[in-house]
Amino acid sequence: MSFTACALAVARKDLVSEWRSREVLPALAQFVLLALVVTLFAFDLDATSAARIAPGVLWLVVLFAGLVSFGRAFAAEREQSSLEALLLTPAGPVAVFAGKAVAAAALLLACEAVLVPGIAVFLGVALPPLVVAAVVLSTLGMAALGCLFSALAVQTRARELLLPVLALPIWIPFVVYGAAALTGRAPQALANLLALDILVVVVAGLAARYVLDD
Amino acid sequence: MRPAIQARELTQRFGRQVALRCVDLEVAAGERVALVGDNGAGKTTLLRLLATVARPASGELRLFGLDAVRQRPALRPRIGWLAHEPGLYPALTARENLEFFCTLHGLSRARASECLELLGVAEDAGRPAAELSRGRRQRLALARTLLHDPELWVLDEPDSSLDAEGRALLGRLAGGRTLVFSTHDRALAEGLGARVVELRSGRAVDRSALQVVH
Repeated sequence: MSFTACALAVARKDLVSEWRSREVLPALAQFVLLALVVTLFAFDLDATSAARIAPGVLWLVVLFAGLVSFGRAFAAEREQSSLEALLLTPAGPVAVFAGKAVAAAALLLACEAVLVPGIAVFLGVALPPLVVAAVVLSTLGMAALGCLFSALAVQTRARELLLPVLALPIWIPFVVYGAAALTGRAPQALANLLALDILVVVVAGLAARYVLDD
Repeated sequence: MRPAIQARELTQRFGRQVALRCVDLEVAAGERVALVGDNGAGKTTLLRLLATVARPASGELRLFGLDAVRQRPALRPRIGWLAHEPGLYPALTARENLEFFCTLHGLSRARASECLELLGVAEDAGRPAAELSRGRRQRLALARTLLHDPELWVLDEPDSSLDAEGRALLGRLAGGRTLVFSTHDRALAEGLGARVVELRSGRAVDRSALQVVH
């Protein structure tokens, strides 16, 4: 069985399970809408200030929604006691990790599909396509790192605390390059994000074997 | 004939606590061994080492002549492991649970149907695992461990939640494969014709092929 087929089978299993149990996605969508409502009431917004804070709101919501999405990736396997059965298959830990990262990234992308139009509706700001592209690119790298830390954190007692402590500092470069997409250096920022994605996917893939299978 | 399991001075620690102390164990290919002992005696710890889902703190473990730590990837497709919890995906149907693992093992989906029949849960094929009784889930989990027709079957209290028919099924399904299982029911061990190995406080106190090393 090829690596890709195994990873896709794991991703499909996670997404089908989520679709039927509706455990994470409704909570994420609710979180997105609540964050926008709070922003609307917490700031004295006009057309100028709304345009200025909208990207910041976008990145904050993406980061915190990411913690929820990636945190569940391995927590569910642990709660169901199914991770060992997965790791005993010839698929191998890296394919399992890749599949779970793909599924978690898909959940966060679905959340962003609510968030971007939500910003347009609640804050009256249409985000430029380059910013949306930066968010999508960041999601891929964040998913790789987030799932790696989720696999690590799930083996500890304080997993809810450990994941944000580990993931948030490492995600900062994604926010820095993502924010740069708003400036005149957008193409360069996107290229940097792409390079960062490739780097973290390779590193997370190499580390996953040792994190999962020990 | 090369033994299926050769353990020498196998020790496992969790922090300061020693869960398994210098256990020597030899199991011939095709032999059935029942681990008995009080709660906390080390049965699950020993089974997890034999299933290669945990690494020993010290000692040597060889399965089919291969090193169980360094050659784990080669060994794992030859092992069927049932943990204390069934480890099923509650939102997936019984058939989907097995088909998912068939994909990871590189088997055809027809094998899932065969195993559903074999364990007598074919009528539950379309029901989500969450809706099955504990006993039916245990049968389904046993079916999952048999998908790839393992040579070594390692089961942690497989008789829990099984009815008399299910227990009788265990003996038939074991066939000629090497079976190591834990149980609190010595009658089951005798019924399966298994050699009984008793663990006390992490030490094996079997009278036959098992020795205590002080």
